[in-house]
Amino acid sequence: MTLAPRSDPGHEHEAALIGRIQRGERELFYELIRPYERRVFVIAFTILRNEADAEDVAQDAFLKAFKYLAQFRSESRFSTWLIQVAINEARQRQRKSHLEIMRPIADQENEDGTYTPRDFTDWREIPSEALERKEIREKLVTALGSLAQKYREVFVLRDVEHMSIEDTAQALGISAGAVKTRLLRARLMLRDLLSPGLDGVWATNSQIPKGTKPWS
Amino acid sequence: MVVTCEQVWREISNYFEGDVDPALRQALEGHLAQCPRCQSVRDGVRNVIELYSDEPMFPLPVAFYPRLHGRLADQVEGRRISRRAWLVSVGVTGALAASAACAAALDRFGPRPLSEMSQPARRLPQRLVAIVDGGKTFHVPGCPFMHGKYHLVAPEEAVRQGYAPCTRCMRDALRSAGKITPDFEGEESASSATVEE
Repeated sequence: MTLAPRSDPGHEHEAALIGRIQRGERELFYELIRPYERRVFVIAFTILRNEADAEDVAQDAFLKAFKYLAQFRSESRFSTWLIQVAINEARQRQRKSHLEIMRPIADQENEDGTYTPRDFTDWREIPSEALERKEIREKLVTALGSLAQKYREVFVLRDVEHMSIEDTAQALGISAGAVKTRLLRARLMLRDLLSPGLDGVWATNSQIPKGTKPWS
Repeated sequence: MVVTCEQVWREISNYFEGDVDPALRQALEGHLAQCPRCQSVRDGVRNVIELYSDEPMFPLPVAFYPRLHGRLADQVEGRRISRRAWLVSVGVTGALAASAACAAALDRFGPRPLSEMSQPARRLPQRLVAIVDGGKTFHVPGCPFMHGKYHLVAPEEAVRQGYAPCTRCMRDALRSAGKITPDFEGEESASSATVEE
């Protein structure tokens, strides 16, 4: 697993901030978390799919991060550790709400199985000019929400939050190989869900039809 | 090296990550140049990556930052209680302790919250509040955490019916109305869960 390089100026700045917070300059915690406030909410929302719960969990995660900051080991990135805390909080909330009972069948699939694309329509053009941005966002959120949780988590950390493969693996507690496998499947499934040929999702306001889900 | 369509699909994600060796990359690109199906897969995956990369996917809830910083403030900045506030809190705690027996006796006649998880109101606003039938909390009209049709009632009536204050909008409303001040927050934590005003 790749650790954050010691020459990374951002990493050094964070390490210095953490040291000062631990020595009593507690207000600097706001500065430390500012770049990650949105990311923590996004990963909580990705897992819980509920805005109010995600906000509660994000707040809990920051409180826990402050409480246990002394346990943070500076050889890894603070952001990765913080995301780990948020993921744990969200999963705990999920267990308490028994949400895992409703997880899609795809959660239980064998990851080694290869995914075969279903649609081969020409999709060279992004339909961004044909649709309002809000409409595009709704379709993207709907498609993402229809994926199983393990694919949502990896896809959001890598392709929405632009974390590296290694940091994504560390945050989720899985191998880099598993990240790559899940990322491939997530991208291919989203491609099928959003492709213009399969269900015309870009041309209509309809939700993604049941039959087009990769696991159905 | 010659690759099949299945190999292209298996490697297409690594291809965009730049995580394939030069020989495999050359073979993939050779195949892609002449296979419309694999071109469709390549273009679609690229579009997916670009679309999700560009869009602000998850807008933050309204007033996310003030609420977050409000919740962090106690822990991060530490609770600073003045001498006066400390004396007030000791007095209030004593008075509340003296009335605890009465409160316990009256509890069975007091409002019973609709949700056992909710915190009963300690302070109430002086204007009408919004409730939703079937809900468990009362809100400032327009609170984003309120769902469905609502109607306005007096805050005392909402409490009488068992509604608890929304921890988000009501706290903000009372704070902006000056009903919760830093000094009184110390008192709040020491007080019992009773309805005031």
